[in-house]
Amino acid sequence: MTSGGPAATPPPDLPPALDRRFEGVLLWSSRPSLAVRTARLLGDLAGAGAAVAWIAPLPAASLAERLGPLPPGAVPVLLADGCGSGRAELGSDGLHPLPSAPDGTDLEMLRTAAGAVADRLVRHGLAARLAPDAGSTAAVSVEFSPGVRLSSRADLKRLLFDHGLRGIVGLADAATEEARAAGVVDVRVAVERGRVVLATADAGDVALEVATDLWRRGVDIRSLLVLLDGTTGLPRRAAPVVVPDVREATFVLVDGSADRERPGIQTLTGGAERVRYVLSCQLRLRRHRALPARVAPAEWSLETCDDDGRPSAARDALFALADGWVGTGGPPLAGDRVDRVWTVANAVYDGEGPATHLLPGPVPFALGTAEPDRPVVRLLDLRTGLLHERSGSDGSAVESVRFLSLDRPTTAVVRASVPGGHRTGPPVHEPHTGVRVESGVLSGTRWVRVSGATGGIAAAGLQSRAVVAGTHGRDGPRRAVVDRVVALGTATDMLPGEAEVVDAASRAAAIGFDGLLASHRRAWARRWEDADILLEGDDALQRAIRFSLFHLMGSVADTGEAAVGARGLTGTGYSGHVFWDADAFVLPFLAATHPASARAMLEYRVRRLPVAIAAARALGRDGAHFPWESAHTGEDVTPTSARDRTGKVVPIRTGQLEEHIVAQVPLAADTYVEWSGDRKFERGPYRNLLVETARYWASRIRVEPDGTGHIYGVIGPDEYHEPVDDNACTNVLARWNLNRAAELFDEGSDGVSVAERSRWRDLAAGLYDGYDGDTGVYEQFAGFHRLEPLIIAEVAERRPIAADLLLGPDRTHGAQVIKQADVLMLHHLVPDQVVPGSLEPNLRFYERRTAHGSSLSPAIYASLLARARDFEPALDALRTAAFLDLDDLTGSSSAGLHLATMGGVWQALAFGFGGLRARSGRLHLDPVLPPTWSALEFRVRFRGAAVRIRKEHAHLSVTTDRPVDLVVSGKAVTGDRGTTRFRRHGPDWEEER
Amino acid sequence: MTRVVAAIDNSATARSVLRVARAAATAFGADLEAVHVLEDGHETAAASAAAVGLTLRILSGEPAEALTAEADRADVLAVVFGLRDRTSGPRPAGHLVLEVAGRTETPVVGVPPDIVPSDRLSTLLVAMEGSTSSSEALRRTLRMSAGAGLDLVVVHVDEDVPPFTDQVQHESDAYLHEFVARHGPALRDVRIELRIGAPSDEVLAAIDSVAPDLVAVGWPHPGGPDRGEVAREILTHSPVPLLLVPVP
Repeated sequence: MTSGGPAATPPPDLPPALDRRFEGVLLWSSRPSLAVRTARLLGDLAGAGAAVAWIAPLPAASLAERLGPLPPGAVPVLLADGCGSGRAELGSDGLHPLPSAPDGTDLEMLRTAAGAVADRLVRHGLAARLAPDAGSTAAVSVEFSPGVRLSSRADLKRLLFDHGLRGIVGLADAATEEARAAGVVDVRVAVERGRVVLATADAGDVALEVATDLWRRGVDIRSLLVLLDGTTGLPRRAAPVVVPDVREATFVLVDGSADRERPGIQTLTGGAERVRYVLSCQLRLRRHRALPARVAPAEWSLETCDDDGRPSAARDALFALADGWVGTGGPPLAGDRVDRVWTVANAVYDGEGPATHLLPGPVPFALGTAEPDRPVVRLLDLRTGLLHERSGSDGSAVESVRFLSLDRPTTAVVRASVPGGHRTGPPVHEPHTGVRVESGVLSGTRWVRVSGATGGIAAAGLQSRAVVAGTHGRDGPRRAVVDRVVALGTATDMLPGEAEVVDAASRAAAIGFDGLLASHRRAWARRWEDADILLEGDDALQRAIRFSLFHLMGSVADTGEAAVGARGLTGTGYSGHVFWDADAFVLPFLAATHPASARAMLEYRVRRLPVAIAAARALGRDGAHFPWESAHTGEDVTPTSARDRTGKVVPIRTGQLEEHIVAQVPLAADTYVEWSGDRKFERGPYRNLLVETARYWASRIRVEPDGTGHIYGVIGPDEYHEPVDDNACTNVLARWNLNRAAELFDEGSDGVSVAERSRWRDLAAGLYDGYDGDTGVYEQFAGFHRLEPLIIAEVAERRPIAADLLLGPDRTHGAQVIKQADVLMLHHLVPDQVVPGSLEPNLRFYERRTAHGSSLSPAIYASLLARARDFEPALDALRTAAFLDLDDLTGSSSAGLHLATMGGVWQALAFGFGGLRARSGRLHLDPVLPPTWSALEFRVRFRGAAVRIRKEHAHLSVTTDRPVDLVVSGKAVTGDRGTTRFRRHGPDWEEER
Repeated sequence: MTRVVAAIDNSATARSVLRVARAAATAFGADLEAVHVLEDGHETAAASAAAVGLTLRILSGEPAEALTAEADRADVLAVVFGLRDRTSGPRPAGHLVLEVAGRTETPVVGVPPDIVPSDRLSTLLVAMEGSTSSSEALRRTLRMSAGAGLDLVVVHVDEDVPPFTDQVQHESDAYLHEFVARHGPALRDVRIELRIGAPSDEVLAAIDSVAPDLVAVGWPHPGGPDRGEVAREILTHSPVPLLLVPVP
């Protein structure tokens, strides 16, 4: 579905398909020259925020000279030699070559092949030789002397037949054969009069690379206008998986013959003048503030149409926007429910103790009132982080595009097309809940500040309104286009100043909507480059996966500290309190794709280590005790009672007793270190976290006279049973914690004595874990096997089910029904710490006893069932997790999205189906693929290397930009820079050479 | 000026009906009127009305029709009826009130026969079970009671056991988020109680624990013998007057 603004009548001489704003414009010339006026238009378009590219048969440096200097603030322009010598990006800081994907072919192989072609021609009686080196790195030519004048290709064909070659096609086939024999896998051959050209890339390949470059800058192929100046090769082949099929771009051919039709291409006459006209129309659209079109494909977007006019906070939550620092969401922009619009900020709270909650901040996205019950169409472009919205219809419609800039976090931007008389209100609104609000005007700009218990959120905004008659200056009902830029400032321990936000708003407004959009889109494209998962074989699941990854990426800052609450920045639910959800479920995704965010999450814990130490002291213990539920101060904010869904008041003891979090924090730090290789963190805060938590466990374990160690009176991940003794999950994690700390400090004492390390090891070795060697099953806690053997899978009509509400707390407590993976969390989190081969017996035993009454559970089971190659239930569990918020399965998505479940979805795919782990400086892979999928592809960052892993049923490939030590299904391999391919050979993978 | 109409007969319940009607009229700032559909004498009814300072107005015709016509008048806020003995008699409990409730778009109140209702309407319990019609009943009740200074308690009953309960201390608030979002600022001072189970059982249990003066429940409009099962069940067993709010 596309829309470039309100519908309008196009000018008579341009096809309707061109009457919209394109985000990218590619001028593809068959001539190296560029008229000054055309160059200026290209520069002006780049200055207006468009992604501009130019392909012509000249090296990129020469193209840059012809293009000339760009206006200040212009988006960098892509330049590419149509003959394949290379591409570059021209920005304000100069020309930067762009790398081409190495394909193992070098010029020598081409020369060898060309020499063989020349020899073959000679054997057929034609004089032939290698053409002089033209300086190209991608093409070699063979010149042959026909001996007769060739005036047409028909003459050439006849000549070749006369010399025993099967015409032009025969010569091309022969050249291809020689090229392959020389090792050139994918050769491009062109046969001309008197010349055979062998190349690794033709103009079509160059165009594909440029399209890929644009894709990497956030320009969707559907939003790309390709202006062909003369006839050249067309990228009609299906593109590699990196970029969608290039055919979905809009192709316009400008040449002299309008009556020569080419499928899929609009043809215009008029030569260079017409080229300039098309470019100037694009510029005019931008200057008239046309809205970017809604062009995101289904696998990259979420679209809803609310035509019943009934508000739905659950539906609104799906469209929350966040930039790692602030999040905002709520009902449509123009409506009667401004009171429901919210803004929150990372780590900015109000209140005390259990009543601590995220501070409601000033609201940047409200566009005045409109009549209620209007139909609303919303489209969230997951790739670019743009939210398109249209409410109402025809002349009364309010249409907008908005985003929170990922490139300039805390900058909210909206462009809205509204009816001429619509009042949009001020750029910043005060929040609608009772908080301490101040406002004022500074340098003519209104600011608003909300104060919390210790910090605050401030905002200032600027907006401009341009009245246009009809669309883009043409006749029609008067409408206005409003551009609004709001800068927010957040601070956790002081009040943010108004001068700073006013200044930030002013600077952002000076960049303008299009400039801000271009950098924001590029920032998102970079994030996806390192994080995307491509699934072939289930389109709906593909989209759900990207939906999860989008919100995960948006909810976590990548500098300072990131307090990632249960709903992140997607809503106010759970008050922004931080649970083990952050450490165990969200952090691993970021450690593997954007380590800076994982580091920020750990900084939240590191800064609260002193409070954790004090908490341990208060309990009479050593080391550090991280709280079950925390907010600003790092103290525990778990309440002691609450009303459950039946209305009963129930005691809450997780704050006192759910202690496995003490090991989850250092485990998260360990995950970060393994993926990132961050030595500075490893030598500093990591060691502190490990030693203090190890000390806690050392003081927590009670050693009985028989020498075994026990941890009494805890709650494990399964919260249906409390308190319990020797919870296997808690004990094995504690054991890992002790051993890891001892191992780390073996390398250097740093304040940890030999005696203390030795004691840690002894305690770890003696710690009871409930494993039964006969059955292979870990007893979840002491006495679990004596409970009523109730199999919830048989009792409940469906799962997931809140078994405590179904059966009542007393029955649940006395039965073998569990809320979520508990023992099996170990097989997921620390597979090296459990007995080898114990996954299957524990899956068999515990899965049917699991009610999945926690939204965290399905993703973990999906991961483990995938490891066990039990694909049908694995896929069922994965879908439950992936659609949890999209289908509002919990009934509580209105309060914000379930970030931990989203992190679990990634883990199910990466760890479960991918068998991906980072361990001891190596990247381990052991991928599996359900029969219904044809391919699964991951992108991760491992110790600074960009890694792409693609798994098909019989093939596996790993592409990296630097050497990586791999272990593929247990076998060590060094993945060289480039692509390493494997083929299935029985149960093993064999490297293809 | 709006009116609350007390539809009384010659039974002992008439006094309770008048008491409830007076309390409602006071709370909603309406006038109070007593009416009687003449069937066989009206002295007792007239005396009941006179005891609270009202002059009884006589209506004629078939009782359900006459009272529906009265209820349909633009200035009528609610009509209050007495329920005859709920467990005996040829006609089902509350048959007249249900019949009128099914025909009119004006809320009607059924007063149980064996209670001593409060003089003052201070706590109103609204029953909901997650359906669209119960949401509409809530909206209408909120509109009706705006400015009346009542303590409002909503009891929200889910019949199905939910699939998930994450952290109990947050889950109820998170679950109610949508509910509060839909009904907006009107719910700001409303207490919301969650229940899981059979709607009528849970509402009756909530009546026990909350001890309201009046309970509001949606009544399908138009009515029918196979509609409004939950409301009928509550009507049969409720120890407090029931406000039937017509909903589509």
